[in-house]
Amino acid sequence: MSKLVHTPPPHLKAEDTVSKAMRDVILALIPVSIFAILIHGVDALVTILVCLAAAAVTELIFRKVMRKKPSLNDYSALLTGLLVALCFSAGVAWWVAALATFIGVGIGKELMGGLGWNRFNPALLGRVSVFLIPSVFYFLRPYFEGITLSTWSVDATTQGTPLAMLQQGGELPGILEMLVWSESAGAMVETSPLMVIIGGAYLLYRGHIGWRIPATMLGAIIVLSAVLGGNPLMHLLAGGTLLGALFMATDWVTSPITDNGKIIFGIAIGVLVIIFRFFTPAVEGVAFGILIMNAFVPLIEKWTRRPSFSEPKPTTSEPKPTTAAAGKGTAAAK
Amino acid sequence: MEAKTFQGGAHIPPYKSYTEDKPIEKLSEPSEVILPLLQHSGAACKPLVKEGDKVKIGQKIADSDEFFSAPVHASISGTVKAIEPRPVPTGGMDDCIVIEADDGPQEFEMKQVRDPETVTVEEYRECVREGGVAGMGGAALPTHVQTSPRQPVDTLLLNGAECEPFLTCDHRLMVEKAEELVKGAEIMMKSIGANKTLFGIEVNKPDAINAISELIKNRSDMEVVPLECKYPQGFKSHLIKAATGRDVPRGARSAELGCIVRNVGTTVAAYEATIYDKPLIERIITVSGPKVSRPGNYIIKVGTPASHILEAVGVTDLEGVKVVLGGPMTGLSQTDLNVPVVKSTTGVVVLPPEMVREEMDYMACVRCGKCVDHCPMLLYPNEISIYAEAGMYEDAKEWDIMDCIECGICAYICPSYRPIVHMVQRAKPHVEKL
Repeated sequence: MSKLVHTPPPHLKAEDTVSKAMRDVILALIPVSIFAILIHGVDALVTILVCLAAAAVTELIFRKVMRKKPSLNDYSALLTGLLVALCFSAGVAWWVAALATFIGVGIGKELMGGLGWNRFNPALLGRVSVFLIPSVFYFLRPYFEGITLSTWSVDATTQGTPLAMLQQGGELPGILEMLVWSESAGAMVETSPLMVIIGGAYLLYRGHIGWRIPATMLGAIIVLSAVLGGNPLMHLLAGGTLLGALFMATDWVTSPITDNGKIIFGIAIGVLVIIFRFFTPAVEGVAFGILIMNAFVPLIEKWTRRPSFSEPKPTTSEPKPTTAAAGKGTAAAK
Repeated sequence: MEAKTFQGGAHIPPYKSYTEDKPIEKLSEPSEVILPLLQHSGAACKPLVKEGDKVKIGQKIADSDEFFSAPVHASISGTVKAIEPRPVPTGGMDDCIVIEADDGPQEFEMKQVRDPETVTVEEYRECVREGGVAGMGGAALPTHVQTSPRQPVDTLLLNGAECEPFLTCDHRLMVEKAEELVKGAEIMMKSIGANKTLFGIEVNKPDAINAISELIKNRSDMEVVPLECKYPQGFKSHLIKAATGRDVPRGARSAELGCIVRNVGTTVAAYEATIYDKPLIERIITVSGPKVSRPGNYIIKVGTPASHILEAVGVTDLEGVKVVLGGPMTGLSQTDLNVPVVKSTTGVVVLPPEMVREEMDYMACVRCGKCVDHCPMLLYPNEISIYAEAGMYEDAKEWDIMDCIECGICAYICPSYRPIVHMVQRAKPHVEKL
C-alpha cells in the first residue's frame, strides 16, 4: 500500500512556479537587450555576458560557502545580472559591471537570506554601490574614473543623455527617435523605451506584475513634472523611468503586497524621482527613489493591511472596540 | 440572472466533465462494511450490538446520550464480525463496527410511513436524530442540532454550490431528486422557523438550476440564487456572504446571522429519514479521476471500503497514484485502501501520477502576492506561513491565522510550492494555547 502517494491537501497545484515567472521576466527584457546590442555592438554583448556570468558564479560561490543547495534554476540570479547590465552604458569597464553584479547577487540577495528575504532590489543595490564606492573610498577614485550612474546621470565627458540635455536646456532629439532607437550615451536600457514598454506589457499580460505600481509611479512623474514646468513626455521616456516602473519597482520581493500599499509605493517613488531630478544636483532619481521606498515596504504594508473577512464590522449600535484598529491595538500592545 | 459571489477566491480547473452527465446509479454491494462510531463532529457513539450479533439493514447499531452526536445504523444485513479499531478516512485508527454481509435483504425498503403534507416539526426533528443524519457536505455536524434554533432564523440557505473540483454528487442529486429536495426544504424551513429558502447553486449546473426553478416557480418563499463558479463558493461563510450579502464575523453562529446553511444532500437525507424512516446508510459519492474507466455518481453504502469502490469502477493500477476521499482541495489522501467511506464522504478521487504534486523542496516566500489576491478570508497567507513555519505563534495570531478556513487556495497557487495550509494546520493548536 505504500506505493500510494500521501500528502496533506490541497492535492491540485497551479502551473505557476518561481522559475517560470523569472524566466518570463528575462524573456521580457530580451527585446531591449537585442536593441542595445544592435546599437552598441559587441560592447553591449560583452557587458551583458559578463554580468550574466558574474551573477551565476557569485550565486554558486555564496551558496556553496553558506552550504545551501545551488538555486541557479530559479533564474533569479541571471535576471539580476541582466538587469545590472542594462543599467550600464555599453562601454563600461567589464570589471565594474562584474563588481556591481557581485554586490547585487552576493550581498544584495544571498547574504540577506536568499531570494525572498532581500529587502532591497538586488540589481539596483549593485548598480548604485559601484557609483557610491569611489565617493566613500577616495583612494579608489582613479580606478572608477568615469563611472557615473550613467543611466541615472550624465556622462559629462561624452555625449549627453536626453535627460541631461533636457536639464541643460539643450536641443532634444525627436520623440519617435527617442522612443524606438536612441543612440544616446546613457544606459543600454535607454536605447529603446518602446522595447521596455513591450516587455512590461508582456509581464502585465502574464500577470506577473500589476498595474498599480507602474501606473501610480508614472502618473506621479507626469503630473508633477508638468506642474513644475518640465516636459512630462521626456521625463517619462528618458533615463530609467520606464525600466524602473515596469521591472524594478514591481519586483515581487521588494514591493508592498497590499493593493493600497502598491499605490502609496508607486506615488512615493514618483515624487522622489521628481525631487531628485528638479531639486538636487543628481540628474536621475529612479534608482535612489526605488531603493529608498524599498526600505519603507514593511511600514507601508502595516498601514494598508485589510481587515480579515471575519473581522466584525463596526456597527452604529455598538461601541468602538469591535473595530479592526482597536482589536489590533490590543493585540500589538501585549 | 446575474451570478453572485464573494471577494477573493480562485478559478480552479473544474474537472467535472468526467461525471457531471452521469446519472446516479447503484454500486455493487460490498461483502463487508466498516462503520466508524464517530462519523460526525461531536461525541462518538457506543455500540448497541456485540460481536456475532445478526443485524438487519437500517438497524440502529450505535448511539450516544450526548446531544452533539448522531447514531450509526447497519448499512447492510449480516453479522457483526468485529468491533475494533480500524483505519478511518481522517487518518489513524478508530473504533468501528465491522459487518459481514449475509443473504438477508441488502436493499432498504422505501415504504412511506409519514405524509410530507401532515408531518409535524416535532416528528421531523426526532426522525432526523434517530436517522443519524449528519452534514453530508464535509463538516458532518449532526443535523438535528440545528433543527430547533433558540433564536429566530429567517432564511434557510441550501448549499448546492459544489465548488470542489471533480465532485458532481450534489449536482446530480439536484437534477434527479429535485422534488425530494424541495419538499425536504419545505419541512426544514418549517422546523427552523424560517420564512425563506434560498438555493445557492453555481452557474456551471444549469440543469440543476432549471430543475429546481421549475418546481418552485409558483412559490414566493423559495428562490434559486445563481452563484459564480469560484472556489470556495460552497464554504458556509462565503455562501452566506454571496447569497444574502450578510457579513459573517468570527464566532457568529448561523442562528445569530439569521441564516442556516444546509447541504442539499443532507436535506434530502433528512427528508427520507422522516417520510420513509430511512436512516443515513447510503449516499451519493462521485468516483472520478482522469484514468478511472467507469467514473460516475454512485449510491454507495456507508462503510464500504475504498478498495471495493475502486475495484468496482475499474481502477487496478495504483502505482504512484493518489486516492483522495472528498474533493482534491480539502479531501484527505489515503495510505490504506481498507478505509471506509463515511456519511460525509463526497467523493473518491483518483489522481494519476502525472497529476500528483511531486514532493519537491519548497522555497522561501517571494512575496508575489498571489495568495493575498486570492485568499477568500482576506488574510495574508504569506505572512502567516512565515510565522507559522518559524514557530512565531504570537505573530501568526496577530495576522489572524485562526480565521483561516484551510480552503487550500494559497498552497494551490503558491509559485514557491509552500505547503501553507499544512503549516497553518500545524500552528493552530499552538496559537490556540496562547
